Amino acid sequence: MTSTAPIGEDHLAIHTQGLGKRFGPRVALESIDLEVPRGTAFGFIGPNGAGKTTLIRLLLGLAEPTSGSMRLLGRDQPKHRADTLARVGAIIEEPRFHGHLTGRENLVVHAAAREPAARERIPASLERVGLTARADDKVKTYSLGMRQRLGIARCLLGDPELLILDEPMNGLDPAGILELRGLIRSLVDEGRTVMLSSHLLDEVEKTCDAAAIVDDGRIVAQGSIAELRGGGSMARAIDIDCDRHVRAASLLTAIRGVGSATDNADLLRVTLTPEAPVDREIVTELLRSLLNDGIAVGRVVPVTHSLEERFLTMTTRLEDRS
Amino acid sequence: MLDLRLIRADALKLGRRYGMLVISLLLTTGIALLVFTVTAIQHASDPLKNGAAGGLHNYQNAIGFLGVMVFIVAAIVGSTAGAQDIESGVFRDLAATGRSRVALFGSRIGGALVIVVPITLLVAAVAAVGSVVLAGSLPTPGAGDFASGTFALLASGALGCVAAVGLAALVGARGPVIAMLLAFELAISPLLSSVGFLGGIRQAIPGNALDRIAAAPHPSIPMALGTAIVVLLAWAAAAFAAGAWRTKTHEI
Repeated sequence: MTSTAPIGEDHLAIHTQGLGKRFGPRVALESIDLEVPRGTAFGFIGPNGAGKTTLIRLLLGLAEPTSGSMRLLGRDQPKHRADTLARVGAIIEEPRFHGHLTGRENLVVHAAAREPAARERIPASLERVGLTARADDKVKTYSLGMRQRLGIARCLLGDPELLILDEPMNGLDPAGILELRGLIRSLVDEGRTVMLSSHLLDEVEKTCDAAAIVDDGRIVAQGSIAELRGGGSMARAIDIDCDRHVRAASLLTAIRGVGSATDNADLLRVTLTPEAPVDREIVTELLRSLLNDGIAVGRVVPVTHSLEERFLTMTTRLEDRS
Repeated sequence: MLDLRLIRADALKLGRRYGMLVISLLLTTGIALLVFTVTAIQHASDPLKNGAAGGLHNYQNAIGFLGVMVFIVAAIVGSTAGAQDIESGVFRDLAATGRSRVALFGSRIGGALVIVVPITLLVAAVAAVGSVVLAGSLPTPGAGDFASGTFALLASGALGCVAAVGLAALVGARGPVIAMLLAFELAISPLLSSVGFLGGIRQAIPGNALDRIAAAPHPSIPMALGTAIVVLLAWAAAAFAAGAWRTKTHEI
């Protein structure tokens, strides 16, 4: 499998502006402005029913948007749909196959809808996902994990510049997830773009360079994984290992930018307000205050948030929906 | 729009359905062999009471009956060709390749014909051989009879394929389509043909057009050969247009 030359000059693999989709009175997507840079693994995360699959269907021309515009691989859609989609591989929801055909025959069927060279890529695609040994077994005997891998092999038949994978880790065991993570990174290393829709936030965090969080038909945040972890409405916090917690808390809460100081196991957790200066400055100030009062300090640890924590603060929670 | 790679792919999907192929052969060639065999045995056991199994008249009757069987087989194969991508969920992945949906639809008809045409030719050959070998003292069919009989069977198969693929694209499932086509062929069509006050409108019933093409000995509705061909083409065009429209506009 060779990496591919971009067919457009646009530095974005996916670019939507004000994209919307209604089903009668129900708004499925509203004003989606999405920017997926080329050559990255991009996570697309959101609760069930948030609109992830609807957006993927619009991108792939399986449904028509009711508003807005979109560009794929630098080309306007749907004007250049056929040319563009020839360079896109996709798994939409769970991968579907003809169960009465073998894995290889299913790929032959799919390759017929692509350029003639697609058929020649079948052996390499099967090899890449580790299915060569089972390629001549009927798909109805495959496990869900094997179907997922066959779905990825099918995506690779078009030597795609962009892969759109909807929940590709469903049904994979831990080893399979690890393999898929490596495969996605290797595809990105070849210059391809991978858009990964998943509810497995930990996997998106480990696999992707950037992500967008979608909720209730809208994108509520997008950016690099680091930005998403650090941004949002969650307060910054610092854990301090020190003695005399009561006295230390009293000293620290008097400092501008400190919201509260409370016991957190053996540590003192200092929660910062939005007005607090950057970490380095506030930490210096906190330490100076404690040391001037003779309080011994063992260590200072900034509290980091996982993408999952950010996700939960940004999206509609289960209890809010009920 | 005619893409041989896509047609081969559709034929592969159908060709791996061994059960369907066996049923198709049994319903056509199997029944033809059975009828000729039973009639020949009856004739051999009592030649005065039972006529020979072959001959021109029996050939024409056989073509009329086998035309219905070929249509049923075409309905089964065509509805499978038309619905299998939709029912399995694969159509979404095929459409996401950017390939024209109308081309994907058209290839299903091609794939169905790849299966149905050889079966039809086989049963036509059985009917022809049976009618000659088992003719006894009866007059045998000539080349023109064989040509019109074979053409009628092929027309029946082709119409069944196009109608079934088009309807399957509309409905999205093969079971209801088979039921609809069987009901039309076996009940609705004969019923409408027998309603006298419909007059010439009955020429639009495809079964009557097929009877005309087959040069049936006692056609229920007389019509010109050209009219019969136009009727069949019109039905096929309508089914194709309906299926192609649905395939093109359906949000998946």
